[in-house]
Amino acid sequence: MTTNPKTFSGVAVASAFAAALGLAASAGPAAAEEEQEKCFGVAKAGENDCAAGAGTTCAGTSKIDYQGNAWKLVPKGKCTTMELPDGRTGSLEAVDRDLPPTQG
Amino acid sequence: MRTAATRHQGDLEHQTAFARAVLDAEADVPVFLTGRTGRSAGRRFAVYRNNVYAGLIDVLAGRFPATAKLVGEAFFRAMAREYVAASPPRSAVLLHYGADFADYVGAFPPASAVPYLADVARLEWAWHSAYHAADAAPLSQEALAALGASAEAMTFALHPSLALVRSSYPVITIWELALRDGEDEPARLPADREDALVLRPALQVAVHRLPPGGAAFVQALSGGNPLPAAAAAALDDDADFDLAANLAGLMRSGAIVAMREPA
Repeated sequence: MTTNPKTFSGVAVASAFAAALGLAASAGPAAAEEEQEKCFGVAKAGENDCAAGAGTTCAGTSKIDYQGNAWKLVPKGKCTTMELPDGRTGSLEAVDRDLPPTQG
Repeated sequence: MRTAATRHQGDLEHQTAFARAVLDAEADVPVFLTGRTGRSAGRRFAVYRNNVYAGLIDVLAGRFPATAKLVGEAFFRAMAREYVAASPPRSAVLLHYGADFADYVGAFPPASAVPYLADVARLEWAWHSAYHAADAAPLSQEALAALGASAEAMTFALHPSLALVRSSYPVITIWELALRDGEDEPARLPADREDALVLRPALQVAVHRLPPGGAAFVQALSGGNPLPAAAAAALDDDADFDLAANLAGLMRSGAIVAMREPA
């Protein structure tokens, strides 16, 4: 077998993997920043999330405040304990309140 | 009396003629389209035709906001109109529309003065695709550590939302600047080219700048190459490739969803 300078031995790869684990851990878990959840019924009118673009978008399309079938990303665990006017709470699934009148 | 078969044949011909005339502004209004008085419904058909175009152009404008901002709304809508005419939807699912828009932009002569425009569109398509891709849970630190001992023999399964955009321009910086509110700030562009890694490990799409050789590395890994071969390919692509730093980046970004012994 010819030696190609551009190859990695198993040992080199294993030690790089171990070093990478250390690097990834020391930089802090990036995943923690994304610990969010979809929370229904908490967004002000027109401030719901869902940035998929026009044509398919639902971002900013909610019609009324705290619309029950519109969601917003909130920090994980905060959704159902959020304080909203008139005793409303957030929900992890769409809720049957504050819905805009259906178009006929 | 017409049989069902000839009626069906007639419907099909009508539909084909209708579809062709909707997309081709030069085409004649199909003769079977008439108003109540029996006269040709030319003006109403023009309204319908315009709505089809406007709807599809809106889809593209929403899907490629940075591309639109870089050239301005008037230019973008004119370019999108040409694209719709040349490349109408092939699927009833509008989510899939625009997959080859970036290629069209790259070959659109009036846009040649903005050479990075197609790459920005590619990045936006990758973002859109990642947003709608399947969910998958990245491997945790603990799972990675447990598999680390035999890492050199393994192949990686990368996240299903993952996409690469390689560019000769600082495409990520251009994209970020284009989408930033409050324009007119002097843009400080890096001189270097940028390669982007786009993925959605949880609920939000992330766009990462890849280090030297990173794109070749990810490409080799997603092609099923085990770690040593992928590292060699990356080093071949760029002599500054740093295996540990690249692996750490992939681990941190949640790009690795499984590691397997090759079959």
